[in-house]
Amino acid sequence: MKNGKSSHLTLSSLIVIGILILGHLTAGNRELDTDTKKSQSPTESYNKVMAVLTHTRCMNCHPSGDVPRQGEDAHLHYFDVERGPEGQGLTGYTCNTCHQKENNNYSGVPGAPHWGLAPSSMAWEGKSETEIATQILDPERNGGKNLKEIEKHLTEDELVLWAWEPGVNAEGVLREIPPVSKQEFIVAVKEWIAAGAPIPSGQN
Amino acid sequence: MKVTFTINGESQSIEVTDGNSPLLWVIRDGLDLKGTKFGCGKAACGACTIHVDGEAIRSCSYPVKVAEGKNITTIEGLSENGILHPVQQAWKELVVPQCGYCQPGFIMATAAMLSEISNPSDEDIDKNIINVCRCATYYRMRKAIHRAAELTSNNS
Amino acid sequence: MSKSKNKKGIKRRKFLKYTGVGVGLMIGGVWAARNSIRRKIFEVGEKLILPFQGDTSSPLLWLQVTPENTIILHSSKVEMGQGSFTSLAQLAAEELEVDMDKIEVVHAETGSGNIDGMGTGGSMSIASLWLPLREMAATMRVMLHTKAAEKLSVSASSLTASNGIITSGNQSITYGEIVEGVTDWDIPDTPILKERSTFRHIGKAIPRVDLHDKVIGSPIFGMDAEYPNMLYASVVRSRLVDSVMSNFDTSDAENMPGVVKVVKQKDFVGVIAESYVEANNARLKVIFDYEPNQLWNLEDIEKAITVGNGTKTIIQKSGKPVEDIEEEGDIIQIEFRSPIGAHAQLEPNGAVANYVDGRVEIKISTQVPKVTRDEVAKALGLSKDDVNIIPTFLGGGFGRRLHTPNAIQAAIMSKVVGKPVKSFFDRKQEFQNDTFRPPTHHIMKAKVSGKNILGIEHQFVSGDTMFNSALDPGIGSIIRADIGSIRGGSIMYDLLPHRSTYYHVDLPFATSFWRSLGLLANAFAIESFMDELAIQTGQDPIQMRLDAISNKTSYSIRTKNVIKACAEKAGYTDEITNGKAMGFASTIDTGSPCAHVVEVSMEGEEIIIHKVTVAFDCGIAVNPDQVKAQIEGCVCMGISAAMYEKMDLKNNKLYPINYGSYRMALMKNTPREIDIVLIEGTDSPGPVGEPPMGPIGAAIGNAIRRLTGKRLTELPLQRYS
Repeated sequence: MKNGKSSHLTLSSLIVIGILILGHLTAGNRELDTDTKKSQSPTESYNKVMAVLTHTRCMNCHPSGDVPRQGEDAHLHYFDVERGPEGQGLTGYTCNTCHQKENNNYSGVPGAPHWGLAPSSMAWEGKSETEIATQILDPERNGGKNLKEIEKHLTEDELVLWAWEPGVNAEGVLREIPPVSKQEFIVAVKEWIAAGAPIPSGQN
Repeated sequence: MKVTFTINGESQSIEVTDGNSPLLWVIRDGLDLKGTKFGCGKAACGACTIHVDGEAIRSCSYPVKVAEGKNITTIEGLSENGILHPVQQAWKELVVPQCGYCQPGFIMATAAMLSEISNPSDEDIDKNIINVCRCATYYRMRKAIHRAAELTSNNS
Repeated sequence: MSKSKNKKGIKRRKFLKYTGVGVGLMIGGVWAARNSIRRKIFEVGEKLILPFQGDTSSPLLWLQVTPENTIILHSSKVEMGQGSFTSLAQLAAEELEVDMDKIEVVHAETGSGNIDGMGTGGSMSIASLWLPLREMAATMRVMLHTKAAEKLSVSASSLTASNGIITSGNQSITYGEIVEGVTDWDIPDTPILKERSTFRHIGKAIPRVDLHDKVIGSPIFGMDAEYPNMLYASVVRSRLVDSVMSNFDTSDAENMPGVVKVVKQKDFVGVIAESYVEANNARLKVIFDYEPNQLWNLEDIEKAITVGNGTKTIIQKSGKPVEDIEEEGDIIQIEFRSPIGAHAQLEPNGAVANYVDGRVEIKISTQVPKVTRDEVAKALGLSKDDVNIIPTFLGGGFGRRLHTPNAIQAAIMSKVVGKPVKSFFDRKQEFQNDTFRPPTHHIMKAKVSGKNILGIEHQFVSGDTMFNSALDPGIGSIIRADIGSIRGGSIMYDLLPHRSTYYHVDLPFATSFWRSLGLLANAFAIESFMDELAIQTGQDPIQMRLDAISNKTSYSIRTKNVIKACAEKAGYTDEITNGKAMGFASTIDTGSPCAHVVEVSMEGEEIIIHKVTVAFDCGIAVNPDQVKAQIEGCVCMGISAAMYEKMDLKNNKLYPINYGSYRMALMKNTPREIDIVLIEGTDSPGPVGEPPMGPIGAAIGNAIRRLTGKRLTELPLQRYS
């Protein structure tokens, strides 16, 4: 029989190695761990953040053109409504003509405070995660925000947080929410920013 | 709950059990103003268009509770002292309506647009006027909108 | 000009005798002769303007003089945007010698006895009432004169009349005063009608009589109708085709706020509540099972709608089938398809019913007040006299409102709950319970030798248009002559050996009348093919058509005039100019020929329609501005259907279910220019509301063919890769 202490150490090492391997394996895909108490690497945080930002709930209002996208299939918003001069629509109608500050269960029209499109400088459609992340961090394109302000926007802005309570569509069907829970997302944003918002290399 | 707003110049206080009830039905059935129409109930067709604080709003997708304290105009309130709004005058000059069901919504949307763009181009009209007309009176509407812009600038 | 009622009576008797023959010979002979009878019916149906099917013997049924000295015209033809009220008012005002501001038009209640046996549709309102209404108005004028002479104690010959006032010497009396206290009227022989040269109203661009109401939002539509103490209802309808609903559980619905009663009948479940919102919310809580009889997807429908399937009728057989033509030549063959089309009219279907003590009154947007009345009477076990239908202004008809089961449901619910009930579909129910324009499939064939077209053939199949319709004139469904689907399906190029064969298929969902019926799809196939023949045989498409139409009938001559006028007005050319190409097409429908030239360009994959030139011959244009309005509407609605619209079917579910996802032409898809030439090729008014839609699909397809070299064969034409 081996000495108890040394076998205990071996077991601990094996467990730590196991955890490290597990962490590495899960970092690159979207089957993400829902244990928010666990501390994660900046890359893990980054991946969670990007999993949300590239979901249709967010991408639909960060189009590259002047027409929003809508629906799970991200088709062009019916009636070709346009961003207009300030991302709030035109004048015969504005975004507010139909969208109010709350989701509307009767009409299936989604709503949140200051509903509108992200400016063209914040267009994400057709861009890689690296490009999107770089854009978010660039004060020239993110509305002059520093890291703290970026964190505040991503974790507190009502339009951003709408993604987790997107309401029902015209057929009464609940819209999909991002693959990461709101709580997890907020934690991931904070941890990523706290780590200096590094963008992992060698990723898309 | 009680909701109080001004509609066509008159103050109204409505008792509603469901504050999320679309304003469209309060207007049509509660206040008996039938000019604002139900076409789809999903903010797609624009037949329910009214003005809230001067902006075009699709009343089928606007909860009555949000109307609290607002200034609402429906098609019935567009004319002043019996004088038709320039959009309505132009609509008559060009004899635009056919079945007429969608027309109040178009007139309200057009009036809202003209208050911001006083001399719209055809492209402005194409982009801003996105209601649905099945009789397809769009051709005359376009002419009437130009005429309404003319009448508006003549008046000012 | 009619000299007496007898002349009109003879015309009517001729028509009735015709169908009488069919019915009379049903026992035995007609089944054997059905194909030739079908052909005859088709031939007659394509050109015939059916006489008005109602009582035009007494002006008192139609024309009312008020004490305020105005005229109320009670119209049994409904107003659904096509301008019937205005033109009918012009006819009446003309012969009554009153100004247009003295005449008002209202919908005739069925209880008044002024009942239209046919319903409003087929573009026949003005054409069928052109003489009868004028005769009634002229007769009334004589009646008023006679009574005035009595009341003034003068001779009738001393009277002059102007705008509702009759004068003799220094005496005068208004129409309103004349009718006062009079209960008995002698109805004289019909007087001579006014000469064309004296017309003050007919032929003028009078503004619509409903214009003011429609720009101020007056509550004139079915959805606006009310009764005191009214309740609101929402009915459960199937969301799946060919499926049986069962095991209804209404317990949750019954407990919803505002619900007064849930009504369970043999074929519907209705939720009645204090408000529309509450009724609808509760209706969505009704639980039930679906049992599809069979799985249906769009490909199954397309397989069914394939030439060769269904009941076959040869419509035209002056030529052999192209495959059997013996002369040497090349066979050109192209197949075409059109999709399921939705009506998508803005006002949903519904009814407001008030059942009291064994009688029911219903306010409803309907194209068939008589059918609505008869169906309600039958369903409720009432006599027809105990049912009064009050038609309202329709927020769009287009053939959708020939089926009005909402009236029966509202009436039953009103009876059950003891209060008036307003019951309406929501938009999703509209889309999933429409009576769609049926999808079609066409095979066009021709054999050509050089520039000679040795023969041309149209084979086509369509879902039902007429059989399940209330308007089926009886004989049609017996021998399967679907006059609706074959509209536009005949080849009008009678100098070419031509053949047309129609196949009828019943689909697992309701299909019926949609503005111009088979015309849009049939013309798309035939006129696209004619253009293709012109291209492949190196001919001018205009001249080729003109050379292929004889001078045998006035229709042929009028059609050629329309073709020439359109090509000339548009400056038609095969050449591409500044990135734009032109496309030409022409049709004749219900006797009114029409031609279009469309100018298109492309921006990437997007087809842009810049201009449409239209030449149209409807005979006398009672109101030329309203004729133009109908042409503009047909062009733009035709662009919508030909370019963008289609319904889909997946796992028995019809979709899309709303505007937006059901793509339609909007303001931005409307041509900048619509140039119209009106031609008067005959001396009476002909159909207007539908014929101008015919050429649009093919004209666009032909323009694209010239522009890109690609022949588009499927509607809708706008596609994205």
